[in-house]
Amino acid sequence: MTKKAKPARTAKAKSAGIGQPVEMSGTLRLPAVVKQVPFPIEALSPKVRQQTPAVGQRATRPDGRLHGLGQTKYIDDMAFPGMLYCKIKRAGIASALIKKIDTREAEAMPGVMAVITGKDIPVNSFGPSIKDQPVLADDRVFHAGDGVAAVAAVTEQIALEALDKIKVEYEPLTPIFDPVEAMKDSAPKVHPPVSNIYATKLIKKGDVEKGFRESYKIFEATYSTQMVEHVPLEPHCSIASWDANGRLTIHSTLGRITLGRTDMARTLQLPLSRVRMVATIVGGNFGGKNEITQEPALAVLSKKTGRPVKGTFTRTEEFIATTTRHPIIMNYKTGVSKDGRILARKVRLVLDGGAYCSWSETTLGKACILSPGPYNIENVHSEAFVVYTNKTMTGAMRGFGAPQVCFAYESQMDEIACELGIDPLEIRLRNAFHEGSSSPTGQVLHSVVVKDSLLQAAERYGWKEAR
Amino acid sequence: MTDVTLKINGETRSAAVPPETTLLKMLRESFSLTGAKLGCDVGDCGACTVIVDGLPVNSCLMLAGQADGREVLTIEGLATPDHLHPIQKTFEDCASLQCGFCGPGVIMSSKALLDANPNPSVAEIRDALAGNLCRCTGYTKMIEAVQQAAQVMRSAKSKRAA
Amino acid sequence: MKKRGRGIACMWYPIGFTVAANPSAAVVKVNEDGTATVLTGTVETGQGSLTVLGQIAAEELGIATDDVHVVSADTDTTPMDTGAIASRTTYVTGNAIRLAAEKAKEILFQVAAPMLGVKPEQLEARDRKIQVKNYPQRCIGIGEVANQAQFVMGQPALGSASFNPPTVALDPATGQGKPFATYVYATQIAEVDVDDETGEVEVLKIVASHDCGTAINPMLVEGQIEGGISMGVGFALQEEMLFDNKGKQLNPNLTNYIMPTSLDMPEIEVDIVKNYDPTGPFGAKGVGEPTAVPTAAAIMNAIYNATGARVYSLPATPERVLAAIKVARSKQLPKPKKAAKSKRIAAH
Repeated sequence: MTKKAKPARTAKAKSAGIGQPVEMSGTLRLPAVVKQVPFPIEALSPKVRQQTPAVGQRATRPDGRLHGLGQTKYIDDMAFPGMLYCKIKRAGIASALIKKIDTREAEAMPGVMAVITGKDIPVNSFGPSIKDQPVLADDRVFHAGDGVAAVAAVTEQIALEALDKIKVEYEPLTPIFDPVEAMKDSAPKVHPPVSNIYATKLIKKGDVEKGFRESYKIFEATYSTQMVEHVPLEPHCSIASWDANGRLTIHSTLGRITLGRTDMARTLQLPLSRVRMVATIVGGNFGGKNEITQEPALAVLSKKTGRPVKGTFTRTEEFIATTTRHPIIMNYKTGVSKDGRILARKVRLVLDGGAYCSWSETTLGKACILSPGPYNIENVHSEAFVVYTNKTMTGAMRGFGAPQVCFAYESQMDEIACELGIDPLEIRLRNAFHEGSSSPTGQVLHSVVVKDSLLQAAERYGWKEAR
Repeated sequence: MTDVTLKINGETRSAAVPPETTLLKMLRESFSLTGAKLGCDVGDCGACTVIVDGLPVNSCLMLAGQADGREVLTIEGLATPDHLHPIQKTFEDCASLQCGFCGPGVIMSSKALLDANPNPSVAEIRDALAGNLCRCTGYTKMIEAVQQAAQVMRSAKSKRAA
Repeated sequence: MKKRGRGIACMWYPIGFTVAANPSAAVVKVNEDGTATVLTGTVETGQGSLTVLGQIAAEELGIATDDVHVVSADTDTTPMDTGAIASRTTYVTGNAIRLAAEKAKEILFQVAAPMLGVKPEQLEARDRKIQVKNYPQRCIGIGEVANQAQFVMGQPALGSASFNPPTVALDPATGQGKPFATYVYATQIAEVDVDDETGEVEVLKIVASHDCGTAINPMLVEGQIEGGISMGVGFALQEEMLFDNKGKQLNPNLTNYIMPTSLDMPEIEVDIVKNYDPTGPFGAKGVGEPTAVPTAAAIMNAIYNATGARVYSLPATPERVLAAIKVARSKQLPKPKKAAKSKRIAAH
């Protein structure tokens, strides 16, 4: 900061409306005007927080107070001396071979401290199950949001400008975007030589064909859902720093630090004892912050420069470079008796897995298991496929496939009710699980209150009166 | 560099910043006031809301230079050494904030509303918060808290008057 | 013309990972004044886990929520945890914390037993006291016991434990097995207005009746349900990531990716279904994800009820709803009752 004092202005500090700046006096260049609030200002809601027993109390949140005061330190609110800023160059092409990455011009820019590519990451692959995702794409691009190079510079602005100076030569490949097309043998492979169908799941119980034969009516429909982003208000942000003992600390907006640390140790080839991961408070997760993204690149940049390196995703990167909710195409065939009991249900799910596996196997499993709905059905056949496409990767998101299949099974339930002239509430009560019901996987269920929830919601709404 | 002198949370301060610096960036980096958050940087999410000359502003859309000579109130300026601001208190009591990242912006928008309209209807509260995105709460408990805060502030005012 | 309709949807949802081990470990340290510190490797991501986990530890130790401080999210100081995922924190991490607190409590009981002249198994921890079961007047303050444990007996009261939900692997050929330890259930009812000239849908009200086992903190459960519904409304009506024919996203920003604002939220009535799961900490299961599950289905059924139009492809944008209304009309069906023969609508 410059020491040059501003010329004193006339003291007239009465505030005016926007557009009419006021004159002010006193031009101290003081760094901060955070009011130091003595602690505690007020006790934290003793009425609920001081009571025993503790369970069942509407206890207020200690972190909630800090949020309201603006005092919670999210990762982006932290800064370390000498900290550099990282920006990542995104491919912008859905499928291509990388022929050459020229970083020389970017590296020569004043203020740019280091530029790295995928070749600089010791083990350039990660993933919660299948390790198919590069930290930075090195020889092949799998979707348009892939990072291909990362810059560390003294300001964000310089890092951004440096991205434009990185020249990448691509050999475009034929991309595939439609999951149904991608299932065909003739389709281009997203991760050759691996099949685009990278995981399947099958749940079989009873004999669906027999159930259909015995049915009074059969209903068939196809439902589909879209790709959705988690949109946590806080974008992904991490800071990597090393100490002189070769110990790495990652401050990160991660909801799963145990797995995050494992991934860091693996990609960087470090013993776990040399990696510390700290997450403080995460500004919204919803499944989108369950795995590492840029962190190994930040660590490599930090090691190269000897300075802490922070990377904060832009809102656009939140969309193009983080996981999303699986679009699912859902075929439902359901046979029912005349009084609306489900006798057989056959489900086929095709999940658009995007470019990488991420949490797809979990999503596939949950979607498949839950797909028949909370109903007693003796004959079930549910099969599910998850397929690579050259789109943004899909992964964990609040419900792991359940909101999608619920949309399908509950839509069809109403279609059945309408056709048979049964009230939608009544048909659900006739089929719903009860204590001791056997699930589609043959699990004997306990603590089952689906009927109670149906009846309570109906009562609260006034379902019967409103007919 | 642009010299900016402004009143922040009641005290006059100045800084020299590159001309492209936004008010948000200046608050966070020059003045260490990290309460206002960067959520989108283009004025969509409202996490950066502060009050400038009595009006709520997306500080990511205002250049630091445009704030020269103005009065800026940030989330850090709401509580007194003895008490939380009534909005902060009711937000805490209702558990209106979950991850909290949108919180400072939501509270500043609520403050601007209640300063202008001490007895807002639910529709008016919804309207005032429409520029502040929240992904956690569904806004429901925020609206409740603003209603409660309005009541607390009105009764405090009538006590003062009496 | 605006047409009103109502739709119902119920769901089931599991707690924890599908078969795969997803343990949590925890450490509970009772301080010498009877307050406590909990170490957990899970991360507070907004759901209120620090508060709920603190309440669980407090309950086991017979102290108040405010007496417990929860330390989280640092791999150097906190034990492993599978993390804030799969609606598992209250159930899995909560169980680990309860078990760790129980171990710390056992030390307090051993120390208190001779002070009260009874056996440890005759004691209970309640209202910040260690007391003889059925004789609450025979008691010592928990702080006094903890102080005695640490400074006289040299046996500080701390406990560590872990918990992994019990599952049985699925048969690869049939998928039969026990993939999850427990499930939660819920119903949501949506009331909507559909403008049959524009296809615009307004969600007026959602009644949400959710099971989470014991609600450790009902206020935070309500918050989860309200938030889940907002995500469900976006999934149902507004949100969609769009790509061009080269695989680049068309709306990677909050200007063009539309998510619910305060103006889009319906009136919400939350109803917590009374339940107790003996396998959970004090009967609790979980609530995070399931709140977002039935909303879209309930809204689609309400649109159907209002107009006879069935939307087969989400989100139900005005264009898609209008197209579905036209399909329903082209079948010349007087009532939604006969609109059941379903064909997927080419809504793209």
